[in-house]
Amino acid sequence: MKSKFEELKTIFIDSVDKNNYVELESATYNYNILETSLLKPLKMILLYGKPGTGKSMLLNKLYHNLKEHREIHYFDAPILSEKAFLKEIYEAISGQSIPENMRVNFDGLLKYAQSLRDKREVVFLLDECQLYSASLMEKIRLLSDTRVVKFVITLHKTEDEDIIAKEHFKTRIWEVIIMKNVTEDDLQLYLQKKLIKKGFIEVANMIRKKDIKYIHYMTNGNFRETNKYFYTIFDIYEYYEKNNPKKISTKKLSKKILEMAAIKLGYIDA
Amino acid sequence: MHRKIEELEKRWYRYKLKMIMIPLSSSIVTAFVGSGGYYIYDKHYIHNKPRTAVLSATKEVVHSEIEPVKVVKVESKDTKKDDSTILLEPIIPVIDLEKEEVVHYVKKSVTKRHTPNTRLVRAKANDYLTAKELSTMGRAERVTTPSKPHIIKRIKLHSTSANYIETMKEKYAHSHSSRDALLLAKAYYKKGAYSEAEGWALRANEINSKLEDSWLMFAKSKAKMGKKQEAINILAKYYTKSKSVKAKALIGQIKTGKI
Repeated sequence: MKSKFEELKTIFIDSVDKNNYVELESATYNYNILETSLLKPLKMILLYGKPGTGKSMLLNKLYHNLKEHREIHYFDAPILSEKAFLKEIYEAISGQSIPENMRVNFDGLLKYAQSLRDKREVVFLLDECQLYSASLMEKIRLLSDTRVVKFVITLHKTEDEDIIAKEHFKTRIWEVIIMKNVTEDDLQLYLQKKLIKKGFIEVANMIRKKDIKYIHYMTNGNFRETNKYFYTIFDIYEYYEKNNPKKISTKKLSKKILEMAAIKLGYIDA
Repeated sequence: MHRKIEELEKRWYRYKLKMIMIPLSSSIVTAFVGSGGYYIYDKHYIHNKPRTAVLSATKEVVHSEIEPVKVVKVESKDTKKDDSTILLEPIIPVIDLEKEEVVHYVKKSVTKRHTPNTRLVRAKANDYLTAKELSTMGRAERVTTPSKPHIIKRIKLHSTSANYIETMKEKYAHSHSSRDALLLAKAYYKKGAYSEAEGWALRANEINSKLEDSWLMFAKSKAKMGKKQEAINILAKYYTKSKSVKAKALIGQIKTGKI
């Protein structure tokens, strides 16, 4: 049987899963903008922000909420090969599979997309777009020009953002949603909701305001960092639970363990 | 896993120790620096500054300072009563030492006052005496240092413009500098040989086209030879490039016939 802290650890394993999505005011606000933007005659929507700000989670939620109602496809991992990418796009639109020894001609794909104008509207959700090559991004742009294929793309704040910054590309992005790290209050809500959702009410109550302040200081309110931090905290708790249970309290989070986890993750230089 | 957590715990203990030690050591250092600073301030500033005040104060009690503790009877002048107040001098070594120094200083000044007022020549760091110092001595005592005859060297230059031009030409042959070429142009211009002046100005300009005087000298030579329009054109071209005030002024001079 799994120990309590072993189970708690698994909650904080970083994964893009709709079941792990936590409703926060800021996230809901961004989600609503995203969903409304899809209803408008757009070409592209950009979700932009630092890693761990919840871009992928938002995209994932959008996909699961809309997949029953409209033609929507989600590429959670970037398809770096141009050949494979065009094949995936064509197969998603046409519903036909292409034999292994054949490839999609881009001009043909464009003409095919143009022929569907005013008949269909297919949405593609592309995650981690900073990994796509400039030439592939250019093809994505051309496809979006047909107004048959719409793209929602996520982009990390990196040097590659130059591709997006190009004037011709800028004009095609209809909506830019900037994702930011959360505030202390939102972080507290995020942790409490996450724990309560999995039935750990007493653990949620262990986290005090001053703990949140410390955690926010360590993680800057970044979801990925917070998940990593809590995974490590409960990993240490698990050790003490098995080896020296007297050292841990179940009433409040141990400052010592918080600091130990921070040392382990390199937040503190010890 | 066990080892990792144990190692992590050790690191945490080190971290906590560091967190305690840093403010503690910094406060110790601050206290040390502060007390050191106070000591220096106390030693060099407080006790040096009111030296004259201490001196005048100690003049009165100078005899009573040798013994560390002394009973002093102070008679009240106003009341003329027989009651006497007994004062105890504090035994503070620092003050005693200071006062001892002051006593020594007082003695020195006293002995100085009693020395006969003789006219002495003060020794100076250098070997020579000033006129004022010499005047205080008798004629016989005057020390005369053998002085070297002051010879003024004069270089007589006998030069002509021809010589100058030849010398400059030789110099130019070695240096090939724009400056020398320009000096030659100026020399020829002064001499009235405008054609040569024009040639040397051109040569100077070829070497360094940024040399403003080469443009001006070239144009002036042209103007002197009657090619005024040509000179104005050259200057106008130079002016558009450099916005030179001198060039503009020269254009005006040529136009008005001053050159």
